[in-house]
Amino acid sequence: MFVKDYMTRHPVMAEPTMSIVEAQGIMAETQVRHLPVVETGKRLVGLVTRQTLRIPPTELASLNVWEITRFLSNLKLGDVMVRGENVVTTAPDVALEQAAQMMIQHKVGCLPVLDEDVVVGIITEIDMMSQLTALLGGNVAGVRATIRMPNRKGELAKVTGAISDQGWGIYASGGVPTPKDPDHWDCVFKVRDVPREDLLRLLESIEGQEVIDIR
Amino acid sequence: MRTVEPTHAPILKVANAAISYETRYGDVEAVRDVSFNVHRAQTFGVVGESGCGKSTVAFGIVDFLGPNGKIVGGSIKFQGQELVGRSQEELRKLRGDQISMVYQDPMQALNPSVTIGDQLAEVLTVHRDIPKNKAWEKSIHMLDRVYMPDSANVMKRYPHQISGGQQQRVVIAMALLNNPALLIMDEPTTALDVTVEAVVLDLIEDLKRDFDTAIVYITHDLGVVARVCNYVGVMYAGEMVEVGSVETIYGNPLHPYTQGLMRCVPKLGATKESSILYPIKGRVPAPKDRPTGACVFAPRCDYATDRCRSEKPSLREVETGHNARCFYSEEIDPDAWRPPKGLIPEISALDEQENGEPIIKIEDLKMYYEQESKSLLSLVGAGEPLYVKAVDNVSLEVPAGKTLGIVGESGCGKSTLAKTIIGLETPREGKAEFLGFDLTQPVSKRDVDLIEELQMVFQNPDSTMNPSYSVGQQIGRPLRRFNAVPGNEVRDEVVRLLNAVRLDASYYRRLPRQLSGGEKQRVGIARAFASRPDLVLCDEPVSALDVSVQAAVLNLLMEIQNEYGTTMMFIAHDLSVVRFFSDYVAVMYLGHLVEFGPAENIYAPPYQPYTEALLSAVPIPDPRATQKHIRLSGTVPSALDPPSGCVFHTRCPRRDLLPDGGKICEEQVPPWQYNTDDHRIYCHIPLEELRKIEPVVTTG
Repeated sequence: MFVKDYMTRHPVMAEPTMSIVEAQGIMAETQVRHLPVVETGKRLVGLVTRQTLRIPPTELASLNVWEITRFLSNLKLGDVMVRGENVVTTAPDVALEQAAQMMIQHKVGCLPVLDEDVVVGIITEIDMMSQLTALLGGNVAGVRATIRMPNRKGELAKVTGAISDQGWGIYASGGVPTPKDPDHWDCVFKVRDVPREDLLRLLESIEGQEVIDIR
Repeated sequence: MRTVEPTHAPILKVANAAISYETRYGDVEAVRDVSFNVHRAQTFGVVGESGCGKSTVAFGIVDFLGPNGKIVGGSIKFQGQELVGRSQEELRKLRGDQISMVYQDPMQALNPSVTIGDQLAEVLTVHRDIPKNKAWEKSIHMLDRVYMPDSANVMKRYPHQISGGQQQRVVIAMALLNNPALLIMDEPTTALDVTVEAVVLDLIEDLKRDFDTAIVYITHDLGVVARVCNYVGVMYAGEMVEVGSVETIYGNPLHPYTQGLMRCVPKLGATKESSILYPIKGRVPAPKDRPTGACVFAPRCDYATDRCRSEKPSLREVETGHNARCFYSEEIDPDAWRPPKGLIPEISALDEQENGEPIIKIEDLKMYYEQESKSLLSLVGAGEPLYVKAVDNVSLEVPAGKTLGIVGESGCGKSTLAKTIIGLETPREGKAEFLGFDLTQPVSKRDVDLIEELQMVFQNPDSTMNPSYSVGQQIGRPLRRFNAVPGNEVRDEVVRLLNAVRLDASYYRRLPRQLSGGEKQRVGIARAFASRPDLVLCDEPVSALDVSVQAAVLNLLMEIQNEYGTTMMFIAHDLSVVRFFSDYVAVMYLGHLVEFGPAENIYAPPYQPYTEALLSAVPIPDPRATQKHIRLSGTVPSALDPPSGCVFHTRCPRRDLLPDGGKICEEQVPPWQYNTDDHRIYCHIPLEELRKIEPVVTTG
């Protein structure tokens, strides 16, 4: 799970000389929310998001109605974009969760992916979300069980062992520390082609663990 | 595991595009109302016959149309940006940075006087401002990526020093150096051999997966489309007549033109009886002659009604995601289609004929070309002469009235064999007999009677017809030369021959430039048959023609053969055509015959390993057919210094069936093994082993 496997290659890009009107058109047409701004050779010089295209009212306050039109039509991406050094970026070989951490830290919705200084892709919140969905098997039919287990070694193996002993397979799984309870751990399993009741009976038979939810 | 995909807008969005060329007759609309989308990591195939506007669409995308071409309507959006109306400077930047093109002939895309390394590195230094040494490194890396053997050394070579398949790989590497979002490929494998083509097509698949590139793939070959494309647009006379996924287009073609195309492609794996080709009547109209206010295909359509001739159908969604430009798509059932009378020849009589005596008999024929030696001794005339062994120890015979197909990669000696038989080359050794005549004499010393009985149809009809002689004169010449008919009847005979090749008497006065490619080839056939020969050699007679024309010419040849009882030798690189056309097949490799036998035996196990590899490389126009994946490594070795033992041992994928990894193949010349009386295989591997091999093609 590296950035290069989940990023969007060949992102829609723009040049610093492009007018913001045109950029807005492109973003609407291609349904993207972020435009890496590049110069020759796809070198990153900045980033434009839908927010950066919103002109602060204070800047317009001093202008009269005629000047506003001219001001807007003369405005280029180079004037409004987040400049190169301030753009948070990542690289193709970075682990996915590391990239996610960067997005959380800097509160950004996307990371342009650079190979040296050339844009090779972009990874966004949506890509992360789609991986979360895939990680928990949200896109396939099956029985989804949430189990709360004590935070110690060997507990997870109990569940996986019991399921595989039955000849069933785990399609997807994921685990997080139980909120506000450092002694426990919540795990989600997606098991396919199995009746809900059979799975429930099996999971309840495991000692020391609690089935919180099964659906 | 990635199954939830965020939705992406298409990389390329073409909507109602219309492209015109300015000509003497005013603006001619070459392409109109073409719409399609291409998404990342998808290949969109554009198919159709020549003159249908496929390449115009490709060039239109990057406005590469030449000074007289212009986009007159519609929009072409790349990554959301409108390309129509951009300045050449802006487009130039895009072409370098985000859109790449690969053309048909790699030799024309490479500069012959600059090394490959310099050409590759230039792409990076110019478009990306990368320092030379770094660009060089990246180029080597990219050559590795396209599976170029010995990439670091290839960088220092010139284009003529590598093979055609390798040249095309260099061109593809060059196109991918800038990691383009869109790749436009215009017939990238048409100039290559089937075995090389198969490797390049595999490469394109790999690259599409790894680089997520969107590809527009232009080709006339329905087999190639079935192998590489996800979506297909069928073009006819400048319009998109059907668009859909590859499975739906092949499984359930909705437009009569698509159905017609499918019927005129020979299918490998089918039996000879079921592989009759049905040409589409008529031909593609020139852009200025296209019907207006009517369906463009109506004049050639078997289902056309008055409505089709007075109203233009629009491209509409007939099934989900499958569009066709036809009023009657729901009603037409392609399986219920029956050929109209006279479309295909009656050929049943010939098949039942018993095998007669062989009309031509060749034994151990050798044809060597002497090569100048570079050693010092040869300067004084004492050096050993070097020979290119173009044809080596070939023995075969053809019964009268039958057809022998000769197949193999380019450079395997097919054409040299034909030239030797016809007398253009003098064999070095061996016997060749035809009706009691000795064929080892050059043509200048041959008897007129022999020349009369031995004629040839050439590959390229353009270069074999005198441009300043009328059709009548050209066909009349052999008639006069051989005194086939009295002088005052020559004209009538020419008209009769023209009728026999389905051309009317008005063609008598026409000049070659007034004919289409298919018509020229018909004249070539009429000329070859003028003297009523007993043996006709056809050297790739249909490889320069479109599929629908190809079907008509093949049927015509068969019909004439049936009528005159002529024996034919048919040289082709297309194994599906040969299957359809031949009674016997000879497979050649590096000047040697490696397998010979009746056509149905060649296409079923036991195979000679080379035949097996050839068969697995043929693109099959059916996405459901499964085919074994055998790819030959390397290129055909030089005929100047052929490998010892079995000539095929350097590339043979089946050597491991023999003990010691096939050591015997390097040391000893393989024996001819007889599977049946007339089916023989040139291989060390015992026939029992070869029989165990599964058939290459299985149709679902």
